Amino acid sequence: MNTLARKLIAKDFYLNRWLIIGSTVAGLVSLLIAAEGKVRFNIGMLSWLTTLVAFGVVLVMLSIGNERKERTLQFILSLPLSHGDYVRIKVVGLLLCFLGPWAILSAGAVTLIAVMPNLADGLLPFAVLLCGFFLANYSVVLCGALHTATEGLITILIIVTNMNVTLFIFMVGALPSLNDHLHDPAPAWNSTFWTVLGAELATLVITLSLPYFVAARRRDFN
Amino acid sequence: MTQTKHIEMRNVRKAFRFFTLEDLSLDLEPGQIMGFVGPNGAGKSTTIRLLTGLLAPDAGEIRVLGHAMPAAQTLAKRDIGFVSDDMRLFGHATLGWHMQFVASIYPGWDEQYARTLVRRFNLRPQQNVSGLSSGEHAKAVLLLALARRPRLLILDEPTSGLDPVARHELLGEFMDVLRDEDRSILFSSHNTVDVERISDRITFIDRGRLVDSSDKEDFLERWRRIHLQLPAGVALPELPHVVSRVQDGLFVTLTTNRFSPDLISFLGAGVREVQRMSLEEIFVANVMHHRETRGL
Repeated sequence: MNTLARKLIAKDFYLNRWLIIGSTVAGLVSLLIAAEGKVRFNIGMLSWLTTLVAFGVVLVMLSIGNERKERTLQFILSLPLSHGDYVRIKVVGLLLCFLGPWAILSAGAVTLIAVMPNLADGLLPFAVLLCGFFLANYSVVLCGALHTATEGLITILIIVTNMNVTLFIFMVGALPSLNDHLHDPAPAWNSTFWTVLGAELATLVITLSLPYFVAARRRDFN
Repeated sequence: MTQTKHIEMRNVRKAFRFFTLEDLSLDLEPGQIMGFVGPNGAGKSTTIRLLTGLLAPDAGEIRVLGHAMPAAQTLAKRDIGFVSDDMRLFGHATLGWHMQFVASIYPGWDEQYARTLVRRFNLRPQQNVSGLSSGEHAKAVLLLALARRPRLLILDEPTSGLDPVARHELLGEFMDVLRDEDRSILFSSHNTVDVERISDRITFIDRGRLVDSSDKEDFLERWRRIHLQLPAGVALPELPHVVSRVQDGLFVTLTTNRFSPDLISFLGAGVREVQRMSLEEIFVANVMHHRETRGL
């Protein structure tokens, strides 16, 4: 990675620093609330989930959507970089910006489930899959935003990916080989778990690679 | 040894759904300031986007500072300072942060010059960009481009929206850049007063086609408006190099793009006045003539 790429990634971190810190703090507070008992667990986890989803969406909107809308993109593109460089740097930079809070909050949630005495460890596989889903879902939003310059399309993408959260919880959570073990005292790392995790990884790889092959190869940058 | 031209465009074509830039050829030599003048929608910004690698031509060849564009834009942009009127800085960061950011990318960043410009433009580095007025913002963007000490400055309507004092200050800075003979400026504007003040070469563009390109002095010397009074019953013959002819009874106004004393001798005693034309008048007459010639 060259100096310019490092500077541009550092720029994304700097400009989004309050969002990154705020989201991490909000997510940790949500986990603290969740640690205070069964009723508060639901409230805290719902708040944790909302924080992670909203963080990803706002991060992409501010760093890609607003760069176009507020015409700061012109300033960035006046620097010695090509279209392809810009896209590649954005993928890496925004992935890194998301990864920190995502890793902290995911680890926090998984640890919470593992250490809370009144929660069955059977919930762990689903919690891991949910965390993986957030990362994959974020990569879909990131990939979509890098491929479209239209605000309307980005909004549709955000709505669809938000709906995916509900769909994931109800559809994947309802899979018998996962659902049947939610209340077990020990986690069941069965083939369904690995299949869903594999699908999440595949989504991640595809959506993070696609900009390198499509958006980065565009001849015109509007 | 021949110096590399700072801009070379050869037969460039770029088509969009409702607009086509056609057969554009353009040269900018080191040490020159070229005023790139055209009405709204003429293709100035498209040309500049092609020169800065933001767009790829459908046909033709573009070289900037000797580098093929857009393929070698990363190399070319190391020595280009590009400013456009719709370029914005990050509102939630200070001007000082922007200065540090650009300085960390460009090894040629001149910190002392940057500080001089901060004082001269009355800017405050610790102020958030969102708090700058539009004039201050324009100056801040220019400061970031000028302090890189680029060999080529590409300015797309840099003075639009600025008050006359701010425009005067900025134009002065552009002239300063040219103290180094290896630097050049492409200055796009529809404000012919600014262009006339600083440019030594002028290119007119209209509806996606190059209308005319020449030294400023050449334009000012070639173009004249001639007021005639014809004797009763005498018709004026067709004259070469007359691009416009307006007649009101016996009074005729001719506009020529190849003025010579021979023309005055030919017209004889009927000539009442020969007027020099301002660049704006030349621009309008040139564009209108070009449209008539093309049947637009």
